[in-house]
Amino acid sequence: MLKKTAIEKISELAAVLMDKGSLLAPVKEVSGHNFAEIKDPQKVDLNFYNTIISPKGAFFPHKEDFIKYKIGKPVSEAELTEVDPKPVFLFGVRPCDVKSFSIMDIHFNAAGIVDPYWSQRRKATTIFGYAYDLNQPVDPADFYNSLGIYAADPEGSDIFMVKKDKDLLLKSITPKGEEILAKLNTLIDAGKDDEKYYEETLQKGKEYKTRFLCIDQDVIAKKLEAIFHNNDFWTKVSFACLSCGACTFVCPNCYCFDICDDTMFGKGTRRRVWDACMFTDFTLEASGHNPRTQVFQRLRQKINHKYSYHVKKYGVISCVGCGRCTRSCPVNIDIYSIVEEALKA
Amino acid sequence: MSENNPYIPMPVQIAKIINEVDTNDIKTFRFTFLNKEDEEKFKYTPGQFGELSIYGKGESPIGIASSPTQSGYVEFTVQRAGTIVPGLVTAALHDMDEGAQIGLRGPMGNSWPIEFLEKKNIVVVGGGFAFTTLRSLINYMLHKDNRKRFGEITVVYGARTPGLLLYKDELAEWEKRDDIKTIITVDKGDETWKGRQGFVPAVCKETAPSPQNAVAVICGPPIMIKFTLPVFFELGFSKENILTSLEMRMKCGIGKCGRCNVGSQYVCKDGPVFSLAELDQLPRDF
Repeated sequence: MLKKTAIEKISELAAVLMDKGSLLAPVKEVSGHNFAEIKDPQKVDLNFYNTIISPKGAFFPHKEDFIKYKIGKPVSEAELTEVDPKPVFLFGVRPCDVKSFSIMDIHFNAAGIVDPYWSQRRKATTIFGYAYDLNQPVDPADFYNSLGIYAADPEGSDIFMVKKDKDLLLKSITPKGEEILAKLNTLIDAGKDDEKYYEETLQKGKEYKTRFLCIDQDVIAKKLEAIFHNNDFWTKVSFACLSCGACTFVCPNCYCFDICDDTMFGKGTRRRVWDACMFTDFTLEASGHNPRTQVFQRLRQKINHKYSYHVKKYGVISCVGCGRCTRSCPVNIDIYSIVEEALKA
Repeated sequence: MSENNPYIPMPVQIAKIINEVDTNDIKTFRFTFLNKEDEEKFKYTPGQFGELSIYGKGESPIGIASSPTQSGYVEFTVQRAGTIVPGLVTAALHDMDEGAQIGLRGPMGNSWPIEFLEKKNIVVVGGGFAFTTLRSLINYMLHKDNRKRFGEITVVYGARTPGLLLYKDELAEWEKRDDIKTIITVDKGDETWKGRQGFVPAVCKETAPSPQNAVAVICGPPIMIKFTLPVFFELGFSKENILTSLEMRMKCGIGKCGRCNVGSQYVCKDGPVFSLAELDQLPRDF
């Protein structure tokens, strides 16, 4: 099913979606766009390249409350925090970010114990993927082509959207998407030329080139294993790193978290919050021992986790080449260049 | 979502507190479950651990010190942390009295590989405070239903001083039994100490357990491990037959929070028990 709407009427579509559940969509902030829960349909803004922070927060929010309690009261009286079961529409996700969800699914939803929060949020959400605008230049930081992802790749989306001049075309990909799309009464049926344009865009998306490096996941995994103890290499590539952790916070595939207790005035919340392997106390043990006190050890951990450990454990690289870490790094560390260097080392 | 949510602790009550050492900073806590079904869910094997959870403070991963053959309760031996990093949970726990309630998550991690150990001679080597899950293993093997499943059992256990030896009553009982060889040593004795003096590696060398059909299970401070391993290599133990339990900082305990990895392995889920042969496959990042 292919439907369409004028982009200037996007707020009408937003209002319909808000009526059916909660809507997470890109909004313009001071320094760029980010996904946010929409309260005012006028705020939805599709005039963006990609968001600063990835949309992983839709399923793995920066803060996830587990339980609320009163200090000094018995443990059995604590109250569980439930995830709101209402439908969520995650609107305007770029193909590389859609791909990141399926990679995170392996960790949170399939391997060993299922994470109930991720799983529940994932089930409740309909994903509206959104092709990159092929008429705009590629951001130089992006390299998703190297990871087998294309600019107009509908895989993983429930509904896939393509911009056609002043219109937005919406195509249902999954049965879930089809059901939702049929109910969105502000949309009009697309014509034959729209069908043609949609198909052509998917094809043209393959020609929309990002930086490209031939990355065979088994080759890079083995290579990184081989140079693990090459301290000169890791010291060199991490020389400028400030250990600020920005790269991990914007990343769609970084999933490390802390579990902490937040208390005030006799009440408390146990919650998980995003954490980062770039921080010194991430691995500090009670004995005082810390296996990763040096910056190079922590950057090595991050690169290895994505390109080696994740391949060995889950059979896939934990990076989609969205370029966010490179764009947000205050000292211009570029993961693509590190991988390139590693392959040559 | 409350059903089987792995992040939500089950309520347990402190049934008994035993002060283990003369420095008063290591205590064994015996917990009973408030809900009968939780007790049934908490089926563990020696070598596993649990997350002790105190609301308002946090959680601490601690090895299970009791044996699954002891039913009705579960024990954890906990050192009060805080010399280098503030040990919020352990300090709060040490300040609690019998009857207090806390939370418990688990059991977590793999365990001592019981099937692999069956029909073999077992050499258990422990140093200081790292004896807790070894105690669990020893009590498991010594249980009347299990003893015949294992060959000879040799225990070498050392502490810095006599006052720092854990589980003193049990050690005395093991010394009386003839189906376990118990060798207790201290680095330095005091005027009341009549036992052996000497470091664990030296005592192991002297004891010289045979590598024939044997597995060594070794836990202790890094310095003890460092000097004990060469002794066992010299005795002829292969890396497949030397087991140890790793420590890393943990949070979730179920392989999700990404904190405790060594290479591609999460110590909380894929470990904490590894053979030296398995550790050789991992990068030196611990």
